[in-house]
Amino acid sequence: MKSQFKNKSQRDYWGIAFLLPSLLILTLCYLLPMFMDLYYSFTSYNIIQEPKFIGLENYRELFSDKILGISLRNTLVYTIIVVPLQTVLALVFAVLLARVCSFRWGNLVKSILFIPVITSMILVGTIWRIFLTTDGGYVNNILQFFNIAPVNWLGGINSSLFSICLITVWKLTGYFLVIYYAAIMDIPKSYYEAAKVDGSNQIQQFWHITLPLLKPITYLVVTLGTIWSFQVFDLVYTMTGGGPGFSTTTLVLSIYNTAFKQFRMGYASSISIFFILIILVISVVQKYGFREKS
Amino acid sequence: MRNRKTLIKITVSLLFIIPLILSIFPFILMILVSLTQKSSIDFRFNFSEMSLINYSALFRNLNFLSLFKNSSIVVFFACTLNSLIASMAGYAFAKKWIWAKEKIFWIYLMTLIVPGQAIIVPLFIIMNKLGILNTHVVLFLPIINAFGVFLTRQFMESLPDDLLDAAKIDGCNEPRIFFNVVLPLVKPVIISLTIFTFITSWNDFLWPLISTTSSSMYTLTLGLSTLQSNYLTNYGLLLAGSTVIFLPPFILYSILQKQFIEGVALSGLKG
Repeated sequence: MKSQFKNKSQRDYWGIAFLLPSLLILTLCYLLPMFMDLYYSFTSYNIIQEPKFIGLENYRELFSDKILGISLRNTLVYTIIVVPLQTVLALVFAVLLARVCSFRWGNLVKSILFIPVITSMILVGTIWRIFLTTDGGYVNNILQFFNIAPVNWLGGINSSLFSICLITVWKLTGYFLVIYYAAIMDIPKSYYEAAKVDGSNQIQQFWHITLPLLKPITYLVVTLGTIWSFQVFDLVYTMTGGGPGFSTTTLVLSIYNTAFKQFRMGYASSISIFFILIILVISVVQKYGFREKS
Repeated sequence: MRNRKTLIKITVSLLFIIPLILSIFPFILMILVSLTQKSSIDFRFNFSEMSLINYSALFRNLNFLSLFKNSSIVVFFACTLNSLIASMAGYAFAKKWIWAKEKIFWIYLMTLIVPGQAIIVPLFIIMNKLGILNTHVVLFLPIINAFGVFLTRQFMESLPDDLLDAAKIDGCNEPRIFFNVVLPLVKPVIISLTIFTFITSWNDFLWPLISTTSSSMYTLTLGLSTLQSNYLTNYGLLLAGSTVIFLPPFILYSILQKQFIEGVALSGLKG
């Protein structure tokens, strides 16, 4: 009877029974694939024949692969454009909505800017590919109205990646806005009242109260944005297919093409391992940054 | 002073009309064009000529009914199984004895850091060897992940042990305690998790693209992508397909706005 009161330390097997379904699926769909990634990265494997061990050959190729280099560069450029843009926009919008506009208006804007967030990337890619058509697309139509020459949004080597960046920012800003908005609402009103008594204006309040208190959230928004940017796939797949040339080929698209267009599973695994390492580095930097600053 | 403040407030509020239009106008255009049969797009809409002809083409001739059914089945099983399995595991981690609990939980956290796209190649090979490619199971199985476990565990840790003990003394066995006592208490987090899973599975693309080869197993996102390569300039048809994907999450969002924002914002924790 007494042991029944010690719920936590009670050594029955119910805990394991409750955990088992989850553990089995996790092992099958996550843990096993992680180890197989590592194993296949040392092999040459085309699915039909048995995998052949080739040592570090894949990794040697990895560092001399020109197209992979381009896709890594594209992913980096994409990240460098997208992350600051969406972070600053979300922050500025959230601060204005929470600190200047009325509560009602803030909520309304927030809910409408959130609509692109819940839609699928494939849908976003499809509609924007149509709207960005060079001849007669909506965007160029509007530009023409202002006497601006039509832009070859998705067909130009330099413009296509930039267009995809803009669409990403269009889709995700609402998401980060919601995070910022909630965080600003959590800042006690008394901080601002005290500052007002000291005679500081709204802009000073932003620099000295809002921004410092939002630092942990900014870390979250930036790391999350960076990690998501490195995973970009759906949008380039539907809008440009990686082209023109390789101008919008990204890291994940490279993995996909290598594995499922060229059927080089071993080499694709080695790119995957490289990809995991990049994400790990970002996560570690985030952890370190968090500890340093907060 | 007061006047100036009100003026600023109104100006800033009005400035937000630009992002508002930018976020909502593309979807309005999407729906409008989907009702037309234009070969080139423009802002002239003749409301008397609008029809649902693109939609009937999609559902009658282009397999969208089966795509819709596949997506719904996948979403249903992804949501129910993920909520059930994750909360069971969350309960085990929070309240039960497990051998090497900390170490196992650490492994769970590790799987959250590794992005899904990095393990699709071996995942495809495993599912191929198991012979379950082109089934509904293969589509929803990988959606069940450690994130829900992590989330539910946090909530369940705050449940008082006394309550669970009381249920036990009343003669409840473990499954009954879980279903009748624990689950009702963590309902809000289950709702958030379900919405999050709904959005993830409804919008999923890369995994369906890889794991299905027969068009009878395609999901809606995959169907739209195929439609795009086959009917590159049939804008009305493409945007009708987009509207079909757009509406279910949008309608749910309109009804459950608050829960939706909470549920989707959760993905931030996932990282």
